[in-house]
Amino acid sequence: MNCSESRALLEADADGELDLIRHLELGAHLRSCPGCSRIAEAARARRDALREALPRFTAPPQLVERIRASLGAGQSRPARRASVIWPVWNAVGVAASLVLAVIGGYALGRAHARGDALLGEAVADHVRSLQASHLMDVASTDQHTVKPWFIGRLDFSPPVADLADAGFPLVGGRLEHLDGRGAAALVYKRRQHVINLFIWQAGGGAVAQRRGRQDGYSALTWSQGGLNYMAVSEIPGDELAQFVAGYRGRTE
Amino acid sequence: MEAHAPHAPPSFDAIMLPHMDAAYNLARWLLRDPHEAEDALQDACLRAYSSLDRFRGGDGRAWLLTIVRNTCYSRMRQRRREPATEAFEDEAHGSTHDPADANASAWREAKGEMLKEALERLPDEYREVVVLHEIEGLPYREIAVVAEIPIGTVMSRLARARRRLQAELLTLTGRAPS
Repeated sequence: MNCSESRALLEADADGELDLIRHLELGAHLRSCPGCSRIAEAARARRDALREALPRFTAPPQLVERIRASLGAGQSRPARRASVIWPVWNAVGVAASLVLAVIGGYALGRAHARGDALLGEAVADHVRSLQASHLMDVASTDQHTVKPWFIGRLDFSPPVADLADAGFPLVGGRLEHLDGRGAAALVYKRRQHVINLFIWQAGGGAVAQRRGRQDGYSALTWSQGGLNYMAVSEIPGDELAQFVAGYRGRTE
Repeated sequence: MEAHAPHAPPSFDAIMLPHMDAAYNLARWLLRDPHEAEDALQDACLRAYSSLDRFRGGDGRAWLLTIVRNTCYSRMRQRRREPATEAFEDEAHGSTHDPADANASAWREAKGEMLKEALERLPDEYREVVVLHEIEGLPYREIAVVAEIPIGTVMSRLARARRRLQAELLTLTGRAPS
């Protein structure tokens, strides 16, 4: 890759919009080119400054209640997820998961069909956790409070790590049901956004390592030590990957 | 696969409620006034709810944000008493690249209030892509849906918006050659 190609891609890369192959090619070029890496550095500094400093205004709860009441939607809460065929994995996700699946030697077709169903289930759980003021059963930023809380409630012990120093503070946990069994949901925050990390026993089969998107939410799955993991959030995929890397770094 | 039930009634709680903060945030940044933003969100939700039967499934967030955006723009036009005729001309607002201006230290030293003010000074069309991308974390594809522009325009508009934002920031910090 030369400098003019690199400069055309720098912004898209900082925005997490490049596919894996071009991301890696660009990375190789940046390591050998001080000029381009200075521009990439400025793009990262800008992104961090904006994300840290700009407020995300949140809707006043009374306003939301007023709107809800005015629409007469107070009582109904049908299961919407059964009625929609979601556009599932995007092209980037498929490309990335293909690479990963080949490396990992997973049975592709089966893993994908199961992955899609799981993704739908996890995203629905994530959405429900945001809307039903049932984000947490145990609210604590202390991993030594959250971890023991699951004892006796699940027949496994989910690894819990606080990632506040990496910008992903732990805020609590709750019980969920996923893949036909009990699951732990660890709740983390990224700025004002919520990350749900679902953990369940891989008795029904280990999930493939892959990225996905559905309904504007990013998801990342992996399996480790007999447990399946899926992180779901509305933050961009590259930030979610950062979170997962941080979490795995502390717990594996 | 679960049974497909095409006639299940879509509801506010399932499709719109999860995106209330995103919707309010966009309205608040576009209109730059909390009361106006509240009114706009209420209007937009009413419009969205009455057209729920036309919601094709898929992305509830992009769908709602599109309606919120349109509601805000018609309010802004009323406020200025301007006719809704002219399209935004990206080219009229500066070029996309100027490699010499990449300035990491300006961003690292910028204070929050200053960034907020710099963003508020941008034209609406620039402010909204920055808000949607940097604050809401929307991918290009989704911004294209919300702002009703092609993905290529999302990219060039973001590039121009960022350049302009940096220029405003340098002016505010007194570092601009002006």
